[in-house]
Amino acid sequence: MIQEEKSVVLELLGVEKSYPGNPPVGALRGIDLLVRKGELLALVGTSGSGKSTMLNVMGALDRPTAGNVFIEGQDLSNLSDRQLSSLRGRRIGFIFQQFHLIAGMSAVENVSTGLLYQGISRSRRHSDAIALLHRVGLGDRLAHLPHQLSGGEQQRVAIARALMGEPAIILADELTGNLDSKTSEEIIELLHQLNKDGSTIVVVTHDGALAQSFPGMVTLLDGLVANDSRAA
Amino acid sequence: MTSNTGFSRIKVADAIGVGTLGMRTRKTRTLLTALGIAIGIAAMISVLGITSSSDAQLKSELAALGPNLLEITPGDSFTGAEVSFPADASKVVERIGTVESSSAVFVVNASVRRNEFIPKQQTGGITALAVDLEMLSMIDGVVAEGQFLDSTSANLPNVVLGSVAAERLGIVSTLRSPQVFLGDTYFTVIGILAAAPLAPNIERAALMGVEIATELFDLQLEPSLIYARVNEELLDDQRRFDETRAVIAASVLPNAPSEVSVSRPSDLLTARTSTQNAFTGLLLGLGAVALLVGGVGIANVMVISVIERRTEIGVRRALGALRGHIRLQFVFESALLAALGGVAGIILGGLITVAYASSRDWVISVPTASLGAGVGLAVAIGTIAGLYPAARAARLDPAEAVRPRV
Repeated sequence: MIQEEKSVVLELLGVEKSYPGNPPVGALRGIDLLVRKGELLALVGTSGSGKSTMLNVMGALDRPTAGNVFIEGQDLSNLSDRQLSSLRGRRIGFIFQQFHLIAGMSAVENVSTGLLYQGISRSRRHSDAIALLHRVGLGDRLAHLPHQLSGGEQQRVAIARALMGEPAIILADELTGNLDSKTSEEIIELLHQLNKDGSTIVVVTHDGALAQSFPGMVTLLDGLVANDSRAA
Repeated sequence: MTSNTGFSRIKVADAIGVGTLGMRTRKTRTLLTALGIAIGIAAMISVLGITSSSDAQLKSELAALGPNLLEITPGDSFTGAEVSFPADASKVVERIGTVESSSAVFVVNASVRRNEFIPKQQTGGITALAVDLEMLSMIDGVVAEGQFLDSTSANLPNVVLGSVAAERLGIVSTLRSPQVFLGDTYFTVIGILAAAPLAPNIERAALMGVEIATELFDLQLEPSLIYARVNEELLDDQRRFDETRAVIAASVLPNAPSEVSVSRPSDLLTARTSTQNAFTGLLLGLGAVALLVGGVGIANVMVISVIERRTEIGVRRALGALRGHIRLQFVFESALLAALGGVAGIILGGLITVAYASSRDWVISVPTASLGAGVGLAVAIGTIAGLYPAARAARLDPAEAVRPRV
């Protein structure tokens, strides 16, 4: 298969994550996963299946209790907090269910925050942000503040922010969870478009129907991979 | 892995923009929080300003009165006997290192009248004094009419009248060389002095040269009053000033220094200064308390702000911000908040000072160093107040912070 030849962007090897308690709560119980460049993958599971934990571990927001996470071949287990932060800023784009735009900042400013911590000049960040906002269809909303935008528009801004700096992988957590179905469809369509343009995207969702529309789907159950449609 | 080298970094201009975001988006809260600091700083600045204005006023009053002028007179002896100074007392005083100049005044035993037809008893309280030529500059005296005694005129029967003496004798001008009857001789009035508040006994006197007084009136060469100007540096050093006073007394009457009275005409005002200083300390303390409360207020608001902005912090961490960036953002915001209060405080304090000082017709003086120190103090307090909230923000677990909130 052609996909096999493409380079691995993200790899999970025997990843476990448990939270302190008596007994400890095992959210992830030994996960192996491979995400290759150019994939559009759905990570699906019911509430409590460990998918959000997995997304945090994949995005270097959280460290696994055991096992290894590799991003572009780099083992994250030996990295310091500073190195993990820097890696997130450079190589990972995040899209959140509640958009998480920063209040009081315009759409352009929010998007340009995507490269704020890369030491890139404001003018360059702004021109990149404007280009991306045009790309996600918000060319006419550049100076709007988050509260002046609809939910769908806010999520588009968030997507543009995640695209800043061309990250190796984009991780989206229930990105349509706060949107109506029509808007959701538009957002999913946008993801497909971005994927066609070359972005590697992993979407976490509990929505099986949504997941079905993606080329790849990994089902989580009780902290284990129950099914991987790509393996078939 | 070239893409993974180096740490996240942020440009200074961007860091400033990030640090001001909280203030820009929460204006009312910013103003209210800064107000606490502003009140503290304003209290301190106005206390310092009012004290400084009052001091400046005092100094200008003292300067007018000649704070380094000493009046040396025979005091009361233990037995009640009359004390008299030796003839060379003025010269002795002048030889003291910290005394710049001195001048002796001798009482002339003669009545001063407009003319010979006025009864001897009607002197109008005017005394005749023999003075040396430096006396005028000694008391900062000014000649209003004619001229003062010089080396020639002092040897002739000439007098210069003090302002009060001239008024009582009805002499307003020296143009027609008016004469006064002094003892049993007519003296020509060659000059009239302007008012000299520092030396009331000079104002009420007719002044003549020591030579002519000795010649005509059998002058007792025992000075009844010695004026001395001490080095101005002593004014800032009370201990040396007191030493000089003691040295003067001991030099004039080595056997009985306690019988020499060394007074300072401008001394009346010093009591006022000391009471004010006591108040200054108290009010500054109150200002400091207000400032402390303001600092606690800032810390409080910053803690709340960190809780409210948990998601923003998480997003920034997801976007690559290091803990240091988050810490810097909140410390900067806190310091800036306090600086805003500090600037408002010095403006307010300055205005209070100006208003108070002008209402009292004082010289307006706001110490510029205190303005800088006021803002500096505010920034320091804001920085300290921000340390704990910023540390909390930096410690937030990014995965926890970005979790959806219900």
